[in-house]
Amino acid sequence: MKFKKQIFGFMDMLRFKKLVPNRRKALAEGADTPLPTEYRVNQMADALHPGRMQVELVSARPLPGNMRELVFKRLDAPAFPFFRAGQYVSLQSAVGNSLVSRPYSIVSSPREALENRLVLGVEDAGFFSGHLVKDAKPGDRFRMTEPSGEFHYETLRDSGEIVCLAGGSGITPFLSMAKSMVEGDEPYKMTLFYGARDLAHIAFKEELDALAEKGLRLIYVLSDEQRDGYEHGFITAGLLEKYIDPHSVTFFLCGPQAMYDFLEKELAQYQLPRKAVRRDPACCGNREMEAPKTFQLTVHVRDKVSVIEAHENETVLTALERAGIDAPNKCRAGGCGYCHSKLLHGDFFVEPERDGRREADRKFGFLHPCVSYPQSDMEIEIP
Amino acid sequence: MEKRRNKYDVVVIGAGNGGLTAAIRVLQGGFSCLLLEKHNLPGGFATSFVRGRFEFEASLHELNDFGSPQEPGDIRTLFRELGVENKIDWIRIPEAYHLITTDKQYDCEMPFGIDAYIEKMEQYVPGSRKSMTEFFELCNEVRDAQTYSNSVNGNTDAEYMKKNFPNFIKAGSYSVNEVLDALKMPKKAQDILNAYWCYLGVDCDRMSFLHYGSMVIRYITRDAWMPKMRSHEISLAMDERIRELGGDIWYNSQAEKILTDEQNRIRAVQLADGTEIETHHVIANCSPHLVFGKMLEKKSLTEQMIRATNARTFAGRGFTLFLGLNKSAQELGIKSHNYFIYDTADSVKQYDLMRRVETNHVQATVCLNNAYPECSPPGTCMMYFTTMFMSDDWGNISQTDYFKAKDRVAEDMIRVFERETGCKIRDSIEEICVASPTTYARYCGHPQGVIYGYETADWDSLMPRMMMMKEDAKLFPGLRFAGGYAMRSSGYSSAYVSGDLSGRQTVGDLKAEVK
Repeated sequence: MKFKKQIFGFMDMLRFKKLVPNRRKALAEGADTPLPTEYRVNQMADALHPGRMQVELVSARPLPGNMRELVFKRLDAPAFPFFRAGQYVSLQSAVGNSLVSRPYSIVSSPREALENRLVLGVEDAGFFSGHLVKDAKPGDRFRMTEPSGEFHYETLRDSGEIVCLAGGSGITPFLSMAKSMVEGDEPYKMTLFYGARDLAHIAFKEELDALAEKGLRLIYVLSDEQRDGYEHGFITAGLLEKYIDPHSVTFFLCGPQAMYDFLEKELAQYQLPRKAVRRDPACCGNREMEAPKTFQLTVHVRDKVSVIEAHENETVLTALERAGIDAPNKCRAGGCGYCHSKLLHGDFFVEPERDGRREADRKFGFLHPCVSYPQSDMEIEIP
Repeated sequence: MEKRRNKYDVVVIGAGNGGLTAAIRVLQGGFSCLLLEKHNLPGGFATSFVRGRFEFEASLHELNDFGSPQEPGDIRTLFRELGVENKIDWIRIPEAYHLITTDKQYDCEMPFGIDAYIEKMEQYVPGSRKSMTEFFELCNEVRDAQTYSNSVNGNTDAEYMKKNFPNFIKAGSYSVNEVLDALKMPKKAQDILNAYWCYLGVDCDRMSFLHYGSMVIRYITRDAWMPKMRSHEISLAMDERIRELGGDIWYNSQAEKILTDEQNRIRAVQLADGTEIETHHVIANCSPHLVFGKMLEKKSLTEQMIRATNARTFAGRGFTLFLGLNKSAQELGIKSHNYFIYDTADSVKQYDLMRRVETNHVQATVCLNNAYPECSPPGTCMMYFTTMFMSDDWGNISQTDYFKAKDRVAEDMIRVFERETGCKIRDSIEEICVASPTTYARYCGHPQGVIYGYETADWDSLMPRMMMMKEDAKLFPGLRFAGGYAMRSSGYSSAYVSGDLSGRQTVGDLKAEVK
């Protein structure tokens, strides 16, 4: 080995011996100014991702189709975070002894969020939405999760031309997406097919017609009514082809399962790549069962343990909520991972297409309570 | 063993690689331990996430110094001692790296194994054999010296060092470039050899040769490995191990304050909701900037702590693009597992270009399928592209420009990859996700979205950090650090090692107290 940096080896030795004194000196000579308590990038992270927010219902108005528009303002900060149009928030509240929550697509635009205004359109379709549509009143306070979800446009993935197919209350994310386009925050051209039973069931018609004046291509499709200027029937392949080229667009679908099933058949003939069709996932509800069994569910939260009842036909998350346990959750569709919990023992069932867990989660016994149905007595730890 | 509700021998703050390892070490030492994590998952950067039919690796490119079961490297040996090696299914990374530089048009695929590496280098740079051979001899001596140093817990005998590792000491205070010049290595061979520099995030004029040499020798001789189920598998294996050893882990539980008594000794850790956990020992898997700037009670903060923390420089801020592609790597022509693509082979110039978001086009890019074909469904493949910003330029971005800014950087990464490799990937994107410094700040809380801790440059290089381990811990008795900001600096292997060291040293502190 002939390595020699300097002619005299003892110089290298001297330099080596100075490493520690040099560092000691540099540490001692650091500035004595107070250490920063805020960092810009972290402030932006907090602004964009506040986690859970405190909100108040400001106003409400009835909408066609058994729906209600709810307008919220944020209480714990001067504005909502900027978000990606198409995303949802989860609204959470105590109803009776339960702590309930449901995800709803945001109707208002990301720009409106910065003016401390966030709008939801809720259809009366269950326990919590029934409460929101019938009982909630201005001044009521709720907890709301930050805007989340992957049902939004991706510039580098999607076609510059998007075709949105809405059924019933599935119209909500598309209002935000159209507004965001008009406001210059999204680069796409948008065509919207809105399927409803009849004219009386079209929600947000005034807003949609105004957006159509500003660049939204809008086609109403009425199944039960014939009217001039409105398409009649269902959203079929034939109808789509009248307006768009299915091979050069990205589809965004939001509506009931029956609509997804129908459209899947209609779109099958085009053999589109998977990436060309995006669906907004629906909440995981109860299972149809003749005589569901009741199991014992032992729940650990940090160092506290409670024992509650869980029904075979309901998700573990529903059991937790019924018992008034504050269990983290957001999407209720198995995908966001926010409810990620440890299974200590017991069995559960999850539909394979709902199973959004990571591979190692399955290996090491973790579950997403929002899509897991108990199959025995269970013991879990929730974060 | 002291354990009752809200009272533990040790509280570990942060379940990143360092924190998880430290917690296991404390428990193995026979003491009680609570691990606090602000996120709902363990691992910190060591995690994965699902988009559509893809499960993306969040950060791990390859695990250094792992070795085979028969010839284990230091990290496999550590995992064995921790009791997690066999909880994880491992795959071997096939080749070292594929270096591409725009300025000099390098396109070099380098293998593992010293002989193969030297041979390949000789093909690219005829006449490099002698200096490359000497380089590896020197690296071997560096590694042996470090092994000796570790075996005596850093209390090295100067005479023994001089006698047995003379070149280690001679080269010890020089930078990578200084040593390679002294070895008379041809410039082109230096360029190709220095490709790993972005893994340490300091240019080769300022990076200590000892640091770089010890990393390269570990990669080339002990190759690199990866868990099949992404790094989330390691994190959950460690979570399980902690439970087996009787430790507690609280997720969604952010430690906010470290409380002290009248003598300024640690008395408790306070959570965001006010819960106090009694303890006298904390291992912080987060930055001294957060601990001394925000968490430690003001009355216990000394001028020395403030100066020592202010003296240090944040390393790179992370940015990663994740792509799920609807064609196989073969169909797309992506041949390598691990690409380093630089604007320039000159690491000093490159580092400078990385200061600004707009001028930075560096990427360390992985196509996981080329190491583990089954990581995504047949007919698809997965890629992740990582870069760093060497300043807070990202902080200039406004909230309303945030999503567009992420897209701009991501688009540039795709453009550069397509241009330099000729592989067209853009039309095959089925899933896409972008993590910016904001994302890293959000999930792990690191200041400015830093992913590499403090820069190991100049006076703060690895060697003096290691030699000052004991001295640094005296800054605040009862508190030790683990993870990327600790003595071993950043990177997976280093974070595990720092957790091992701080965990065992804390056990030593506790045992000394009992006496």
